[in-house]
Amino acid sequence: MVSNRFLIKRLLLLVPVLLGVATFVFIILHLAPGDPARVILGQRASQARVLELREELGLDDPLWVQYLRFLLDAAQFDFGQSYTVARGQAVRSVLATRLPVTIELALYGQFIGLLLGIPLGIISAVKQDSVVDHLGRIGALSGISIPIYWSGPMLILLFSTFLGIFPASGRIGSTIFLPDHWSLFGMELPLTGMVTVDTLLLGDIGAFISASRHLFLPAATIGIYSLALISRMMRSSMLEVVRQDYMRTARAKGQGARITILKHGLRNALIPVVTVVGIQFGTLLGGAVLTETVFGIGGIGTTLVEAINATDYTLVQGTVLMFALLFTLVNLAVDMTYSYLDPRIQQ
Amino acid sequence: MVRDEMDRRTFVKAAGAATVAATSTAGCSGIIGGGGGGGTLIYSRGDHPENYDPQQTTSGEVAKVTNQVYDTCIDFVPGSGGQLTDGLANEYNLQGRTVTLTLKEGITFHNGEELTGEDVRATIRRFIDNEYQYFLGENRSGYASVTFGDWVDTVEVTSDYEVTINLKQRYAPFLRNLAMFAAAILSQTQIENLGAGADAQGELGLDPKGTGPFVFEELDNANERIRFSAYDDFWGEGPHVDELIIKTIKSNQTRAQDLINGDSHITDNLGAQGIQQINNSNSASIKRKDGINVGYMAFNQARKAAFRKPKVRRAISLAVDTEAIVDSIYQGFAVQADQPLPPDVIGHNDDLEPYAHDPEQAQTLLEEAGETDLSFELATFSNPRGYNPSPLETANQIKSDLEDIGLTVEINQFSAFGPYITYTYTGKHDACLLGWYTDNADPDNFLYVLLHPGVPIDDVPSGQSHVAWDAKGNANNITSWANTEYMGYVNDGQTTYEQSERETIYQEASRIAHEQAPWVFIDYAELIRGIHESVNADSYTVSSVGGPYLELVELN
Repeated sequence: MVSNRFLIKRLLLLVPVLLGVATFVFIILHLAPGDPARVILGQRASQARVLELREELGLDDPLWVQYLRFLLDAAQFDFGQSYTVARGQAVRSVLATRLPVTIELALYGQFIGLLLGIPLGIISAVKQDSVVDHLGRIGALSGISIPIYWSGPMLILLFSTFLGIFPASGRIGSTIFLPDHWSLFGMELPLTGMVTVDTLLLGDIGAFISASRHLFLPAATIGIYSLALISRMMRSSMLEVVRQDYMRTARAKGQGARITILKHGLRNALIPVVTVVGIQFGTLLGGAVLTETVFGIGGIGTTLVEAINATDYTLVQGTVLMFALLFTLVNLAVDMTYSYLDPRIQQ
Repeated sequence: MVRDEMDRRTFVKAAGAATVAATSTAGCSGIIGGGGGGGTLIYSRGDHPENYDPQQTTSGEVAKVTNQVYDTCIDFVPGSGGQLTDGLANEYNLQGRTVTLTLKEGITFHNGEELTGEDVRATIRRFIDNEYQYFLGENRSGYASVTFGDWVDTVEVTSDYEVTINLKQRYAPFLRNLAMFAAAILSQTQIENLGAGADAQGELGLDPKGTGPFVFEELDNANERIRFSAYDDFWGEGPHVDELIIKTIKSNQTRAQDLINGDSHITDNLGAQGIQQINNSNSASIKRKDGINVGYMAFNQARKAAFRKPKVRRAISLAVDTEAIVDSIYQGFAVQADQPLPPDVIGHNDDLEPYAHDPEQAQTLLEEAGETDLSFELATFSNPRGYNPSPLETANQIKSDLEDIGLTVEINQFSAFGPYITYTYTGKHDACLLGWYTDNADPDNFLYVLLHPGVPIDDVPSGQSHVAWDAKGNANNITSWANTEYMGYVNDGQTTYEQSERETIYQEASRIAHEQAPWVFIDYAELIRGIHESVNADSYTVSSVGGPYLELVELN
């Protein structure tokens, strides 16, 4: 089991990380040119109105006052109201709507990466220097090198335009709208915001199929990158493991090759792969920004880009902090899994 | 230890099982979801705001939605280029400083309330009257003052269907202001039910209740779409579909593909590549219409002394090859501009021609002005806008043309539009690229708003044709140009109600602007829409102001 001391130590480390991120994003935003008041009021407004609004929003306060206000609010998980992108709405509620969309996409992408990357890596290692290995390595290198803004449209072209198998955009059929809650034993419960999960909770199989089909291409786009990295890591890790004495001993004792690889090799080879998966989650969130844009998915990635363009300070701050929190939590979970797989790490 | 070992084994097994389960899930496929057809019209666009209150926005994307839900007292004839027609009022009149409106009887809001003059009064008061209990609050939108605040003194309801608006001064464009999206008539009952205070009133945009052809049913932010149902008691023509969905796909190319696949029926703001995709397809086509907009390069005379010399401005106008810009960079989806007013707006002077590309003449003028080694910064935004589909390429073309006559141009590129507007509206640029879409198709909306300094003629220092940046009363004039002859015409145009007289006034103002060249006049861009073959093409009219008129659209 993971020790409490280890867990508490890792949790405490989150505080300086988040404080650093909060400070960094605040400084960057306020150093960059742009005035939210002008964006809110638009080109039609007079400069006098813009100055009035700056005062109203507290943007004419000294920077340190604004910074302290931001930190105090953020500590209470209050990021204020969105200035422009989701005008008047609490940033918290924007995050609650948009974040599950991105997380769902990133999880599916990671899933595809793990699903295909692990077997591909094992096969490449076991059949080292074979045609399969070479093809796998070429594929992996290509997957790492191809940018999402190219692979996304290519997948659309192939699977949507030419083959007509998958839709080009969105998360669910344009005419399918889900209710805002589901029922369990007569109780009304909120939905998760993850469309594949929600359609299952609602028992709407047609909608679930539609959602799965819509999510396949964007998840595959993200997954290609993940797959490439995981298969490369799995291959090199497995190559090391198969040369270990205990593997030879198992084979010498008469155990079949497949069993030896899966039972003794896989678990040990997985440790570095798990690390990569955690570190990669941040990359996946970043990749989701581009993927969401290409596939018309309104997740937190596209919202962040919009917020940056619109100088929506509060929304940018809230979103970046949330990304940082998510990233650190996923890494925490990875560390826990890692130490679980290899208890020596806790020492 | 043994237990830990067991747990780890179980964990690895569970991971394997999850892998197998996920493989089977990922492998399954089904029918293509979505698609239009039947009675559901699907309109796709590139942006999804989350609040649809016509009084809390300056965004055209919000207006696209509120125009489906709300009506205005006066409307634009669909596809006319700005001709006025009845809206909620069947009679409207502007005499002196008094506007009288007679509302149509029997019109109901989506909440069941009947429209009366009290709704008109409550709407205007919510927007601009800080003594009104349900005042929206100061500075919620730049349109508050432009539409009503600068002009309206009082609003009187003389009977259930008669409204009198008393203006602070004579103002010819006011009837057109009543047709703007920001002048949409709200339900007094909804305003009052929301309660007092800016925050409470801010909620209106999440569940707008108008008198328009479509009822706002569901705002699905997670999927960036909105669902509407046809309003059975709509007072005008249509709607011809049962349901409307407005969805968002940010990538132009994906949006074009979505249309080609039949997953949407109409789409807007296509880039050059999206247009090409649609032109190459068998299932969708392009509809185009002259827009009421202008793209230009503005000279900041307050900052750069050389730009105060008309010869320098004219020389640069002659040196920039605007024909090459509209033909090669804008790919023929725009025409060369020759004055601030686009052709569909009254007062456009047909006698004027675009500046011919003449580098020799340009050099001569620069020599006469003593500015042959002029260097300046050209600020530009990066993302395409309707009046300038390729800003960076445009800036590079200008730089190249001007370097050919010996000038030095440094391009200052902004990746986001918000900071760019802040930069240019605070006068930090030497020259900049910008443009304008009309609000109400009135000449004043171009000639006053963009090129009048917003000060009395007497305040312009003698012998000078510009004012200091801080002396301006009009934020949109980013040139600081203050030509008193031009200002005189534009001032007259604001208070002249007789149409032909007004036309002559603005033609003269346009002539002066052309000659004095406070901008390099670049282009008037077309509006481009993609429509799927399942739409009755004749039923959809591209509108250069107002709309989109989706209630008129029929599906085959």
